[in-house]
Amino acid sequence: MYPFQYQRATTPEQAVAAVAKVSGAAFVAGGTSQLDLMKEDVLRPSLLVDVSPLPLKTISAFEGGLRLGAGVSNTAAAIHPEVQARYPAVSEALLAGASTQIRNMASMGGNPLQRTRCPYFRDPAQPCNKREPGTGCAALKGLNRVHAIFGASTACVATHPSDLAVALAALDAQVQVTGPGGTRTIAFPDLHRLPGDTPQQDTTLVPGELITSIDLPSFTGRSHYLKVRERASYAFALVSCAVALEMDGKKIRRARVALGGVAHKPWRVPAAEALLAGKKPSEKLFRAATEVAFADAKPLEHNAYKLTMGRNLMLRALLETSGLQPLQGPAGTAFAASVGGVGGE
Amino acid sequence: MPDELQPLLPTGATVPNCELPDGTRLHELRGQPVVLAFASIDWNPAQVYQSEIFTRLLQEFDAGISSLEARTTTWHSLDWHSEAATQLGVTGQRALLLLDEQGVLRWQTTVTPGQEIRPGQVLAALEALRPPMSVTGEAPAAAGGVSRRTFLTATLAASALLLLVGASTAAEPVAATKNHPPMLPTPPADTVPITLTINGKTHRLEVEPRVALLDALRENLHLTGTKKGCDHGQCGACTVHLDGQSALSCLTLAVMGEGRQITTIEGLAQGDDLHPVQAAFVKHDAFQCGYCTPGQIMAAAALVQDKQKRSAAEIREAMSGNLCRCAAYPNIIAAIQETQTA
Ligand SMILES: Cc1cc2nc3c(=O)[nH]c(=O)nc-3n(C[C@H](O)[C@H](O)[C@H](O)COP(=O)(O)OP(=O)(O)OC[C@H]3O[C@@H](n4cnc5c(N)ncnc54)[C@H](O)[C@@H]3O)c2cc1C
Ligand code: SF4
Ligand code: FES
Ligand code: FES
Repeated sequence: MYPFQYQRATTPEQAVAAVAKVSGAAFVAGGTSQLDLMKEDVLRPSLLVDVSPLPLKTISAFEGGLRLGAGVSNTAAAIHPEVQARYPAVSEALLAGASTQIRNMASMGGNPLQRTRCPYFRDPAQPCNKREPGTGCAALKGLNRVHAIFGASTACVATHPSDLAVALAALDAQVQVTGPGGTRTIAFPDLHRLPGDTPQQDTTLVPGELITSIDLPSFTGRSHYLKVRERASYAFALVSCAVALEMDGKKIRRARVALGGVAHKPWRVPAAEALLAGKKPSEKLFRAATEVAFADAKPLEHNAYKLTMGRNLMLRALLETSGLQPLQGPAGTAFAASVGGVGGE
Repeated sequence: MPDELQPLLPTGATVPNCELPDGTRLHELRGQPVVLAFASIDWNPAQVYQSEIFTRLLQEFDAGISSLEARTTTWHSLDWHSEAATQLGVTGQRALLLLDEQGVLRWQTTVTPGQEIRPGQVLAALEALRPPMSVTGEAPAAAGGVSRRTFLTATLAASALLLLVGASTAAEPVAATKNHPPMLPTPPADTVPITLTINGKTHRLEVEPRVALLDALRENLHLTGTKKGCDHGQCGACTVHLDGQSALSCLTLAVMGEGRQITTIEGLAQGDDLHPVQAAFVKHDAFQCGYCTPGQIMAAAALVQDKQKRSAAEIREAMSGNLCRCAAYPNIIAAIQETQTA
């Protein structure tokens, strides 16, 4: 690992000022993405500002919803009774991600900001526009089985790896940030960006902007998260899907669907959401929605399987969320979220 | 590692009249650009593989300019322990030197063996050496600039990087561009004093901020019960407890452990009384080689704290971050099941 300076943050303002004024400075929270990439020599920050001591570790009621402090661990958020009862998609996404140890370390602020798992990005010997702008994209003509089918550019075809982010996008969570220019609120779907010709920029945050909380808005419908991975547990999603469904009697008042593992950001499918609104849930309707959702997918050489897998997964997520098909395990657990079961059962 | 590195030649210096392996001397090669590439003479398949990547990078960088003319360039691949390496101050290092027609050193880079080649460094070198183009598209053979011919050599030189240099420290920092910050030598690392509370005991130590808690435990404090498996958060062998919860010591900085209660496998037993999970592992023969075992036990001990009764499937899911190469899984599950109902 390349040497760096280390500072423990005392207040959010001090942390922001410290990172904003030093070029190449970065925050570290749980360290599970940041330190991993520093060990791989992918990242070489000059200064690490440790935000884990900050008093941002509470979950509290907020405007009818819940405020998850940026320092709340993935474990604490996942097993919080209010999160499990009111936002099961969030618990399911968290518990289907990583391992117990990593969930204990990882944080609400760090998880959505983890970097892509594109294997070329993680290998400094490979050209990669995200890691070293201008060097090219090794994945475009290389092995791109785990890469994007939506919203990619010729500069970068990476996907965003976070499970939590997909659930937060479907729930229209809000991100509170404080930065060198003051505080602001970002709608979760606007936190991440598409690669375009500047894939080095994952998000719309400016240097020094610190996430202070993730706010879940008031929500009375059902939500659910489903994830397909290559082994029963402890693997990133090939494709995932979060659904938030609000009913009006027997009809769908509003449906929100976000797909994971398919784009540079959690991929909302507005056309499919519009198709679902005002209709009675049925398998036929849901199938039609999946066709609409994947209509503009553009597979690469090795990832066309994500179209079929994604459509099937989205159909199942809609069937399970609406109750037309039972969940695979108790709501709010990894068992509900895991396609193919977990733990070898 | 050489005992003492000789200083590198400054860019712009005329190189000494070294003898090359075929008996020619450098001064005899004046009138043509020369690339000197130093590497270990051991065969390295990774370097061969990387050559393809960089060739492509070069082609994409400037397809038009590479021409047959470049083939007239003289190449010399040299052993990094040769006489010439000593004279040029690059003994034992991967290095690449570019000399112009006058035998003047135009560009050089050296790297520490074992480090990765960074495509961005090749690009930065290319950009730094790109001659200003005239309107006709011909590069001027200007006094201050690099002649077209030298530039062609430079592109070749960059393609040699692939074979010969793993990037990191450019001896002569290449001019920075917006996207490519200068490659600077590794700055000297400062240590910081820290106090860690491990198994109830206070330890004071001096570490660099980049030292992982795992390495501080094993190397500084000789608490070698905690194992290093993958070093990247993927296997669970390094599991310890931080404030009572399982955590990975390989992805925790030692400096981040200050102010926290750290428990390692050494701190689990109370004197001669094994922790119930330890006793159950012994009883159920929940290991073969034992390498993953401290991590498994620490993860399991944290899991059973809540006294919840979990099904085998729930235990498997909760323990999925601890890999066992010997596949002692059924016995590990049995040991945990017994402990949680005890
Ligand atoms: C083996 C392994 C398997 C994994 N599997 C999964 C998985 O299946 N699903 C999944 O979703 N994730 C998975 N992860 C990723 C893990 O969940 C993330 O690394 C973690 O959530 C990141 O949180 P952190 O607190 O550790 O962030 P850090 O690593 O500390 O930081 C990550 C980034 O966020 C920035 N940052 C941190 N906090 C803030 C803040 N408050 N404001 C602004 N910037 C901030 C940091 O500067 C850094 O850029 C896995 C990781 C590993 C190592
Ligand atoms: S897909 Fe993006 S992250 Fe992966 S190699 Fe290409 S530019 Fe890099
Ligand atoms: S050594 Fe830490 S998880 Fe493998
Ligand atoms: S006992 Fe050998 S790795 Fe688990």
